[in-house]
Amino acid sequence: MRRAALALALWLCAAGAAAQAPAQPDLPAAVTDAEISVSSDYRGSRLTVFGVNPDRRGRGDIVVVVRGPNEPAVLRRKRRVFGLWVNGAAVRFEEAPSFFTVISARPLRDIARPQAISELGLDPAAVARLEGGTPSDATARDYRQALARLRRAAGLYSEHPRGLQLHGSGLYSTKVVLPANAPIGDYFAEVYLFRDGRLVSSRRSDISIARIGAERLVHEAATRAPFFYGVFAVALALAAGWAAAMAFRRA
Amino acid sequence: MSIFLPIAEMPVNWLIILALSGFVGIVSGMTGVGGGFILTPFLIFLGVPAPVAVATQASQITATSASSLWAHARRNSVDWRMGALLTAGGVFGAAIGITVFQQTLQAGQIDILISLFYVVFLGVIGSLMLFEATRALRGGAAAARPMPFNRPARTIAHRLPLQMRFPRSGLYISVLPPLAIGVGIGALAAIMGVGGAFVLIPAMIYLLRMPTNVVVGTSTFQILCVMTTVTLMQATLNRSVDLVLAAILILGGVIGAQVGARWGARLPAERIRAALALLMLGSGLKLFWDLVRTPQEMYVLGGQ
Repeated sequence: MRRAALALALWLCAAGAAAQAPAQPDLPAAVTDAEISVSSDYRGSRLTVFGVNPDRRGRGDIVVVVRGPNEPAVLRRKRRVFGLWVNGAAVRFEEAPSFFTVISARPLRDIARPQAISELGLDPAAVARLEGGTPSDATARDYRQALARLRRAAGLYSEHPRGLQLHGSGLYSTKVVLPANAPIGDYFAEVYLFRDGRLVSSRRSDISIARIGAERLVHEAATRAPFFYGVFAVALALAAGWAAAMAFRRA
Repeated sequence: MSIFLPIAEMPVNWLIILALSGFVGIVSGMTGVGGGFILTPFLIFLGVPAPVAVATQASQITATSASSLWAHARRNSVDWRMGALLTAGGVFGAAIGITVFQQTLQAGQIDILISLFYVVFLGVIGSLMLFEATRALRGGAAAARPMPFNRPARTIAHRLPLQMRFPRSGLYISVLPPLAIGVGIGALAAIMGVGGAFVLIPAMIYLLRMPTNVVVGTSTFQILCVMTTVTLMQATLNRSVDLVLAAILILGGVIGAQVGARWGARLPAERIRAALALLMLGSGLKLFWDLVRTPQEMYVLGGQ
């Protein structure tokens, strides 16, 4: 059923693309499940980015990027104090993508020139902007690479140089996995068309990850009315304790 | 079986958490040793951020101590006046502890601080428990009797100024030692998310010379009041109390504690204490090992 719907959508996109004038290449692309709800059974989600390469002769390469909200980040290098490994001084990044995945049909460096890669921010380690200097124990480059490595290990940054599926007639699609630890917020999917190492056109679609239901209620209460949230937590604890005492006294 | 924790921002298997808190509840119901000491390290091992584990644990101890205070109050085994004094110190200590917690959290060192406290207390308490339990097991029934209290007739509590009468305990002592003990326990409670009965009860017996029949009830009262304060402060200042996690921990904890209290009388207490001591030492060693071994990843994310 899902496959049939996807095929239909791809066909509609292809039909739409065929109708476009080739002079100003539009880039048809869409995202399934663009509104992701985080409820109490949330375990991450998967979405599909699909579209069509508008070039009739199939020239050029499609690159799909999904980015999470840019957020400040703090990184520390461990150091040894009296035999214990403690966290060293903080190195701050003004902003870095909280989630980043790049998907293409062949390695990115074969598709785009290094200049285009850095201009479009296709390398998250290069995008992260350091605030102020770094301590003497390591260079800025070390910290940038460490940030990317840690996020890669957490499943938040990924590169899939053979992840894009080509279905013929310029149709392409790819699955994107958003793990449960991916931050909640506004994401976007970007589709780029490169030809001869240069960007030809691009397209951006929004994806939102938002809490709903009890999940939203609890989180908003904890951040907006922390005191009452605390009172509620205590009341819950006292009520549960009292109920248990009552229940087991009768038993 | 998976449920997403709104504050910890991670999915957990709630059956595992429920089983764990139920198990710890049973053990603490049988042995009288608070659950926080065992449960908090396990939550950290499961990947719950240490500040969330500690803060949420406080609300669980509030629930279990409320449940047992009920029974103590009915048996008239609470010295309310002494409890109020210990609580006054405890609330002040908790405020100090929370401030330290908040500063350390912002400095990005909270995981280290929590681990260090746990290493020290799990090590000391686990060793003492193991020592006592093995001696009782080896010595058979004769040695299994409680140690004769070799308490000095008069302690420092009898010499300090500001003396006060405590009719339920039959004491006439200075208010300063109970206040000081309260401050220490309150600070521990805030930083570690434990009730601290293991430190509080010996202090009440040996330092304040309270009669043993009111010691447990009075410490439960103090722990309930201090943990209520700690939960409120953690929620307000650090926003690290996870209600969903708290609900699971409370459910497992209160039921487990009641079941444990029932089983406790019928089971070989010394063996359970020995097993618990080994568990505590094991957890302490694991935390210690994580602090001293050279990390594979030299960088950490987080803090401010």
